[in-house]
Amino acid sequence: MQTSPGNYQVEIALKSGRGPYRLLEAASAARGGGAIVLTLALESANGIERIAFKCAIADNLALDDDPEAVLARLAPWIEREFEMTREAALKSIRSERRMHVIVFDRANRGPF
Amino acid sequence: MSFQLIRPDINLDFVGKRRFFVILSTVINIAAVLMLIFVGLNYGVDFVGGSVVQVQFDKPTTANAIRESLKPMGFGEITVQDFGASAGHTYLLRFEKVANIGSLGPKLESQLSKTYGPNVAKVVRVESVGAKVGGDLRRRGFLAVIFATAFMGVFIAFQFRHTSWSFGAGAVIALVHDVLVVSLALVISQFQFDLTTLAALLTVIGYSVHDTVIVSDRIREDAAKRRREPIAAIMNRAINETLSRTLLTSGTAIVVLIALLAFGGPILRPSAFTLLVGFITGTYSSIYIAGPVVLFWEGHHRVGSLSSRAA
Repeated sequence: MQTSPGNYQVEIALKSGRGPYRLLEAASAARGGGAIVLTLALESANGIERIAFKCAIADNLALDDDPEAVLARLAPWIEREFEMTREAALKSIRSERRMHVIVFDRANRGPF
Repeated sequence: MSFQLIRPDINLDFVGKRRFFVILSTVINIAAVLMLIFVGLNYGVDFVGGSVVQVQFDKPTTANAIRESLKPMGFGEITVQDFGASAGHTYLLRFEKVANIGSLGPKLESQLSKTYGPNVAKVVRVESVGAKVGGDLRRRGFLAVIFATAFMGVFIAFQFRHTSWSFGAGAVIALVHDVLVVSLALVISQFQFDLTTLAALLTVIGYSVHDTVIVSDRIREDAAKRRREPIAAIMNRAINETLSRTLLTSGTAIVVLIALLAFGGPILRPSAFTLLVGFITGTYSSIYIAGPVVLFWEGHHRVGSLSSRAA
């Protein structure tokens, strides 16, 4: 994990079948509806592709309030589910023009 | 009594009206070629290179304000599309001439923050294709259409070689006609021509030849059975015999495509439109283009009668 020199507070390098990507915290984390909502982006290392999406993590799962720690936990899961996450995020933004939201709660705990 | 959309004994004079439809199709095809040359397809970023960037703003803005804000970056012509209030102040930006497409997202966010303040504009999507890759994809796409058309013609010609080579020629001319009509519709509608639309165009080629084979096969069968009948009558009978099948299969496919066009959303609309126009013109060309080519060929290059060769 490293601190980004740009607008992003946190970025984590990911390896994917499509080559190296970065997982960025694209906007400040928000809290609401009993969950912490992270706005994240997958950006290819050469910067020619970026897809933003949201992760809503139920308060009782995200034990740590620090987005950096939450992101560190989330990154390996996103790396594993990279294709599915990228496709879902891209489809949502292209056709519905809104960010895809991955909800982690008791029913879908993901990495938490 | 069961419901029948097309009566089994239907006998419409398709062949008799062929001159009118051949002239009509020729005019449409010439118009298509001229429109392709002088107006051109609305190529997507896949084929021309450049970047598509989707930006979400936290407050209302305008396309002009975005253009003004990005002017200092020297990106040249920027197309800004407003997705409307329902999409939450989301705009689609198209850049065609960006020298360095890498890290476009952070650069844009940085520039927009100077106008709108920090964290107001979020770049939620960047998709870039280099100009060289775009040009290469366009060339390959064009070749795919030519090879698909040519090989379909060769395949049909080989399959019907014992009857007449003219069936292959008819299939190729019908396919060229279909591709040109669909291209004309895409030029007029200015729907974006991207890789999905190209895939739809190749599907049209496959569908159209399928329809042509059905009609040609029935002509071959009827020609073997009715050796004394003139070829024009055999052809007309074959088209009438297959009319029910042709219209029902095309009709069901077209109903699905209309639903896709209406409810499939903006991403699927160009390909649904391509398929819809292609399926309609493919059905038409199987009847009015492929048949008359065979008739013209048989009339001018008669070696033996089509009937005797089909037997």
